[in-house]
Amino acid sequence: MHRPSELARAQARTGYLFVLPTAVLYLTFVLAPVVLTCILAFAYYDPMIGSRWVGFDNFARFLSNGRSLQILWNTLRFTFFAVTFNVSIGLILALALNRMMPSWLLYFFRLSFFLPVIIAAAFVSIVWTYFYGDDLGVINYFLRVIGLPGVRWLTDANQAMTSIIIMDVWKNTGFFMIIFIAALQGVPKNILEAAVMDGTPAWRQFFRITLPYISPVVFFCIVYASIGALQVFESIVILTQGGPGDSTRSLSILIVEEGFGSFQIGYAAAISVVMTVLILMITAVQQLVSRKWVQQ
Amino acid sequence: MNAMMQTRAAKRWIDWAIILCMVILAISMLLPFLWLFSMSFRPVADAYKMPPSFLPPSLDFSNYLAVLNSKVPFVRIYMNSVLIALLVTVGQMVTCTLAAFAFSRLNFRGRDALFFILLVGLMFPAQVTILPIYLGYARVGLLNQPVGLALMYLTSSFGVFLMRQFMLSQPKALEEAALMDGAGYLKIFWRISLPQLRPALSALGIITFTQTWNYYFQAKVLLGKQDQMTLPLAMDVLRGYMGAGNLSVVMAAMSMSILPVVLLFLIAQKFVIEGITMSGIKN
Repeated sequence: MHRPSELARAQARTGYLFVLPTAVLYLTFVLAPVVLTCILAFAYYDPMIGSRWVGFDNFARFLSNGRSLQILWNTLRFTFFAVTFNVSIGLILALALNRMMPSWLLYFFRLSFFLPVIIAAAFVSIVWTYFYGDDLGVINYFLRVIGLPGVRWLTDANQAMTSIIIMDVWKNTGFFMIIFIAALQGVPKNILEAAVMDGTPAWRQFFRITLPYISPVVFFCIVYASIGALQVFESIVILTQGGPGDSTRSLSILIVEEGFGSFQIGYAAAISVVMTVLILMITAVQQLVSRKWVQQ
Repeated sequence: MNAMMQTRAAKRWIDWAIILCMVILAISMLLPFLWLFSMSFRPVADAYKMPPSFLPPSLDFSNYLAVLNSKVPFVRIYMNSVLIALLVTVGQMVTCTLAAFAFSRLNFRGRDALFFILLVGLMFPAQVTILPIYLGYARVGLLNQPVGLALMYLTSSFGVFLMRQFMLSQPKALEEAALMDGAGYLKIFWRISLPQLRPALSALGIITFTQTWNYYFQAKVLLGKQDQMTLPLAMDVLRGYMGAGNLSVVMAAMSMSILPVVLLFLIAQKFVIEGITMSGIKN
């Protein structure tokens, strides 16, 4: 038998030892870089001539420039629609699959809806470039077969963002479907059965019983999807390179172009701080709302 | 009674109609993959022939050979991807499990504060850490080194969180009994906790491997040279190199590139799904 104080000391020693690798790596590759980025955002960085403080200039430049505002707007628009459709379609699919079926069928459904989730957008976007082609595109071929005019999926500035959102929903909605399937299984069966006995219509069961019950999961999905969507990068880089014009350029693309293309390090840092603040704001709103609303 | 039986029969019909719709939808979700696979076997000259094909016309591997013989160092790039994914996967399985054990089983001062700080990391995108890492790597010579990309991800907030969730759901009785018998914490971790963690470790390993295999933003910034690249970057390069005519060859490269992830998922679907739902639902 150990003595209690000795035991507590051994526990603390082991605790610090086990946390150490993670703590060191996290400090080096997450915390310190985040702090440094925040510092860089207030500087004009040039190791040759010398860096200097510029106060809020980088932020002012970002917020007073029509092009960067358009790119911010693109990103917000993409985020809004991608999140709305990914989460709502994911929920609808989960409701459709939440019934008795043979297990091999469920395996097949999970496979086909989840496969796009696990393959990098960098891979599948190349396939979609050919699906979205104007004259030789697969989708336009089928449209013409049924007598519809082809769509300029990626070359029309008014259409391109929609096309990127469609691909994003194809790619990501299965993730939310999987989460909702698990969440739906947690809805107490006896309450649902009682509602069926009372003759409650299905839509009412959903809004009165199911949705309130899974609302924490819905909120998690919205936040998770938003954090991902605000960073949208590779699908756009590969499908449109941000074009036509700037119509699909996102904040991440701007960060790479400014930071590693024109070496405007301070400016790029400011843009990434803006992106991070957006993410923190969404998370904070979610915390507030979910404390007030979820599962009352 | 009769009415009830009628509604029940109607319900079964609706069930089957919905399942049928879902089958059609599920197949159409797979179309891009069927297309790319079929395209990788199509002769280069037929790449743009319509109608598009979704089943391989023949099992002719000449496009695959063309990738291996092309000017792009595909095998080298493949090995880079494998190296990075393995390093990160093994690294995270070690660091995250150790940290999760400490956070869920041991008492020490500052534990909860530390865990909270670690969780905040879930909200920082790569975009806000990449500039200083790039500048630092440029100084110490880690730019254009696959190992540099792996270093960034040897631990993760998500991994620690996932493993901790799992450990909290496991009973502590065995561990407490071992403690009573005078076993040290190292021994308890190694002999008792670790063997119970196998499902969680599989989930973490598969999720991490897949995620690392797919990194694009970070890789694009840190790995510029062709023979230091990873596969997601190489696809775009191949597409440019091959020109429009060699679509079939690009798709052969793509089939080979997604193969490990697809296989992993086919074999271990259960673990992936469990890991994801565990982290998604229980927070």
